[in-house]
Amino acid sequence: MPVFKTPFNGYAVQFSPFYERRLAVATAQNFGILGNGRLHILDLSPSPASPLAELASYDTADGVYDLSWSESRDSLLAAAVADGSVRLYDAALPPSANPVRSLLEHSREAHSVDHNPLRRDSFLSSSWDDSIKLWTADRPASLRTFREHAYCVYSAVWSPRHADIFASASGDCTARVWDVREPGSTMIIAGHDFEILSCDWNKYDDCILATASVDKSIKVWDVRNYRVPVAVMNGHSYAVRKVKFSPHRGSLIASCSYDMTVCLWDYMVEDALVGRYDHHTEFAVGVDMSVLVEGLLASTGWDELVYVWQHGTDPRAP
Amino acid sequence: MEKAIERQRVLLQHLRPSLTASSLENLDSSLSASACAAGDSSAYYRTSVYGDDVVIVAAYRTALCKSKRGGFKDTYPDDLLAPVLKALLEKTNLDPSEVGDIVVGTVLAPGSQRASECRMAAFYAGFPETVPVRTVNRQCSSGLQAVADVAAAIKAGFYDIGIGAGLESMTANPMAWEGSVNPRVKQMAQAQDCLLPMGVTSENVAHRFGVTRQEQDQAAVDSHRKAAAATAAGKFKDEIVPVNTKIVDPKTGDEKPVTISIDDGIRPNANVADLGKLKPVFKKDGTTTAGNSSQVSDGAGAVLLMKRSVAMRKGYPILGVFRTFAAVGVDPAIMGVGPAVAIPAAVKSAGLELDDIDLFEINEAFASQFVYCRKKLELDQEKINVNGGAMAIGHPLGATGARCVATLLHEMKRRGKDCRFGVISMCIGTGMGAAAVFERGDSCDELCNTRVVGANNLLSKDAR
Repeated sequence: MPVFKTPFNGYAVQFSPFYERRLAVATAQNFGILGNGRLHILDLSPSPASPLAELASYDTADGVYDLSWSESRDSLLAAAVADGSVRLYDAALPPSANPVRSLLEHSREAHSVDHNPLRRDSFLSSSWDDSIKLWTADRPASLRTFREHAYCVYSAVWSPRHADIFASASGDCTARVWDVREPGSTMIIAGHDFEILSCDWNKYDDCILATASVDKSIKVWDVRNYRVPVAVMNGHSYAVRKVKFSPHRGSLIASCSYDMTVCLWDYMVEDALVGRYDHHTEFAVGVDMSVLVEGLLASTGWDELVYVWQHGTDPRAP
Repeated sequence: MEKAIERQRVLLQHLRPSLTASSLENLDSSLSASACAAGDSSAYYRTSVYGDDVVIVAAYRTALCKSKRGGFKDTYPDDLLAPVLKALLEKTNLDPSEVGDIVVGTVLAPGSQRASECRMAAFYAGFPETVPVRTVNRQCSSGLQAVADVAAAIKAGFYDIGIGAGLESMTANPMAWEGSVNPRVKQMAQAQDCLLPMGVTSENVAHRFGVTRQEQDQAAVDSHRKAAAATAAGKFKDEIVPVNTKIVDPKTGDEKPVTISIDDGIRPNANVADLGKLKPVFKKDGTTTAGNSSQVSDGAGAVLLMKRSVAMRKGYPILGVFRTFAAVGVDPAIMGVGPAVAIPAAVKSAGLELDDIDLFEINEAFASQFVYCRKKLELDQEKINVNGGAMAIGHPLGATGARCVATLLHEMKRRGKDCRFGVISMCIGTGMGAAAVFERGDSCDELCNTRVVGANNLLSKDAR
């Protein structure tokens, strides 16, 4: 299956919600510690010679830690950059016109961006300055800033069912649920003893939330009763870097970890680990599941490789 | 930069050990880089710099002089060894009492007498009585064996600092057999072959493998030419310790004090035409002559070895790292083929291939066996004996190994970082070969557990 070599270390990958063959990758030089960054837009071409072809790439002065495709325009995407800025790129415009917007408000590294799938013009960014900011595509400044976390906020993701609800994961060992109509967070889930690096909503049950932590576990929570987790999944041998619910099956979860593996889980069953892929040779930090093609997975890692493969096949198989 | 340190700190926090899973690591333990034990190929093992490497800090030799006629004809053997041992101490300022052992390779002299002479030489050189001395005899590779023995003892932890040396005065102890030969030798061809004069084994090699007289004479001329050029360029000045001794005029009996610091066997004007006129010595229609054999010489050499950690602590420059050693057995009738077997064995156990070796010192016992080994291993002539060999400089049996270490490592030092690995090898009378691999002291690759894989074929490098 297709492999793409990026010049820098991979940080995040996401399939386009408009084209089943398109994906974007965020990369950062020197493991994101020092140096430049680059955002790649890739196409799965049918030609076997170069299965992943680069459509466009954008250089940044600092590492790119995350990206999110716009839900309203097929060529638009947002990037979280380590210099604290959130940048918008339009692949339909010439390179000289990009980035179409640079939003510099975060005082430290921006670590995640997420477009609202329901109210399609707005998106969130989270940062190591402990804050989360709400933006709309047409305004040059943020609408709101959410400050409650006591340490880096690693991710903030919209609920796929409620246009005003989102969840955040932070290094202060809590995950929080927010309603943009409320002044503060509506729920604090202190569910891990170590930093929480990622969270995601179930796409079929609007009350279910998953968190991934440095304590190596993934926990699934029901927001109606968040004192105890619905499920705890152990199996990674280092911190779990990212967690993502399947857009096709309600109980399926993908995760990637510092133990260099990508895992698939079914949190509803006893033996939760569905599959383990150890194709990366360095920390696996980015994973995504295609909305348009069931079972199609993409991952990236610090080994500077992007893999796209069908669940059940070997990502490295030529 | 501060930003980068802060980012690194945030990311390192993600790798904090935690107690929830099976691991029970100490929470306070800090993360640090460590060598990768994943060993997909030997590259991982051969490149990293470790404190328990055995390194060579200094290597010196006397000039090599023709026996009975040369500069050392009136010098006692212990007076040859003492100056090189003393030079090691003087040039490094090492406290002699820290030396764990002195091992001397020596061949022809009677065992116990020579061991006593070596012990006395250590005293002359300024070593205290607390430093032990022993000898080792593996015929022509005794000097290399002494160095290897010291390296092995350091690796084993017997001591941290040792000296491997070699000594031979072929003036004082010519090649001879004492007493009678056990008649049983007739029953076994291989045992009988051990009694063959070395020149006859050389003829056997030339005959069996078709090495021509022309090739042999050419090799001898090359050896003299390279040795003369090296001497003229002052290359040996780094390794030769001048010896103050005397020369007695054979006719008048007058003693004359002299300082010997130049190899006296080298003939810069040697040419194929002149060598071609020499008569074969060992066989009527043979090819081995006095001109294309190694010279009979007197000389000594000494090598100071220690653990890398000790050398670093004391601030010594590291001349080279002793990597591997191999001794092998071959047919006694063609003992000269030894290096052709020993070199691949030593190189392989270092995790290397012959192509990785940048410089060779292969002892030229006879041009026949030297040319055979060079051809058999398909070695690049430009890499072998670049400063000449035993046909020009001389072959004091027990000292040759130590002499080669000094010559090889000083040449590697001159050549710089492009010259990373060197090999010393020699054939051994009665049918053996020995070889050792040395590496530059300052070569190391970064610790790395990933490699660029050209084609993603999922096969390990070892699977080819």
